[in-house]
Amino acid sequence: MEAEAAKFLGAGIACIGMGTAGIGLGHIFGNYLAGAIRNPAAADGQFGRLIFGFAVTEALGIFSLLIALILLFG
Amino acid sequence: MAYDPIHQFHIEKLIPIEIGGVDLSFTNSSLFMALTVAGASAFLLLATRNRRLIPSRGQSAAELTYQFVENTLKDSAGSAGMKFFPFVFTLFMFILVANLWGMFPYFFTVTSHIIVTAALSLTVIIVVLFYGFWKNGLGFLKLFVPSGVPKVLLPFITLIEVLSFISRPISLSIRLFANMLAGHITLKVFAGFVVALGSAGFLGILGAILPLIATVALTALEFLVAALQAYVFAILTCLYLNDAIHPGH
Amino acid sequence: MRHKDGKSDPQAAEDAALSGRLRDLDKRLGENRAARGRGVDERPEPPRAGAALAMRMAADFVAGILVGAAIGWGVDQLFGTWPWGLAVFLLLGFAAGILSVIRTSGVARAPAGGGDGFAPPAKDDEED
Repeated sequence: MEAEAAKFLGAGIACIGMGTAGIGLGHIFGNYLAGAIRNPAAADGQFGRLIFGFAVTEALGIFSLLIALILLFG
Repeated sequence: MAYDPIHQFHIEKLIPIEIGGVDLSFTNSSLFMALTVAGASAFLLLATRNRRLIPSRGQSAAELTYQFVENTLKDSAGSAGMKFFPFVFTLFMFILVANLWGMFPYFFTVTSHIIVTAALSLTVIIVVLFYGFWKNGLGFLKLFVPSGVPKVLLPFITLIEVLSFISRPISLSIRLFANMLAGHITLKVFAGFVVALGSAGFLGILGAILPLIATVALTALEFLVAALQAYVFAILTCLYLNDAIHPGH
Repeated sequence: MRHKDGKSDPQAAEDAALSGRLRDLDKRLGENRAARGRGVDERPEPPRAGAALAMRMAADFVAGILVGAAIGWGVDQLFGTWPWGLAVFLLLGFAAGILSVIRTSGVARAPAGGGDGFAPPAKDDEED
């Protein structure tokens, strides 16, 4: 296989990581919403933790985006 | 052409003009921008022609838009922001009317081109920068240095704040452009389904009912998006102007 | 001036009467407002519509990352530091995106005001 083709394949595979980060975000926001509907009074107080979880999860997705970009343009 | 969802965004030269090697042609985009300005002006002028204390329906509509923008601006930038009212109101009306013109079949949507939205958002940011530096001098830079942050983190946070500021015109222009582009493409694709299925015999016509319903629903959604995007653009302009007026955190 | 034709004279009179009442009301409102102190300038909390907020968040986040990536790529082109500029600025842009999202939503939950230490207090961001 040519190195160039392997690069593009690698970039595509790295993008799977972004998709899985999407799954994680879906879990986070879905569970937050479920909890918020059960106990709306506590929802606002947990917003910071929601954002924290969102940031940590999304960071992993950003890492795979970074890998994909490096593979594509490096 | 009926099956090509991108065709509606093509720019065609109506009156080719070239001055000094620069292409200044009057395109369909220019035509619809002129129509937008004409439409907005005509609405406001006609509606306020016979001003009464008890307003007519047209006057009510004009006053509603005025008060809506006024409240938005006052709520987000305080009464010091009212000197920017003409600017914000013009932006709001221009985007709103341009989006609404685009909802007519076979009409061109000015705001679905990123060059137009980028020009609008750069205008906003340039106004913010100039006014911020003119009014606050170098104090405007306090915008990038939040107070109450540990000394160690300060350069890091400042860098992030600067990046966040740079990303403003980009998010402002991309949001409007992407919403209008995606909405109109979706509309066209679903309308294309109706035509494609409708030409495939009786069962096809039965099957075409579903995309037809979807098209009608999407049209309603697009009207909502058209108004909402104009509102979002206006309120973000207000928030950024607020940063220029009161830069300290 | 207000009417083109003469036949709306009674209407004009009615308008004048209403104008008088309006001025009266304005005066009384003015007294009332003066007694209450100026209240308009002090709370620049934006009106919020859920859909408008959602539209802002997604685009702000993506724009932060795009700007970070673009600046990082530019830095790399200028200084030949591939791929470190991209890596650092992409992460910074990501942080800026998160910051924008927190700002937008911090405004959204300002009335409840129940921070728990994790969230930066909303008043730092857009209020002043």
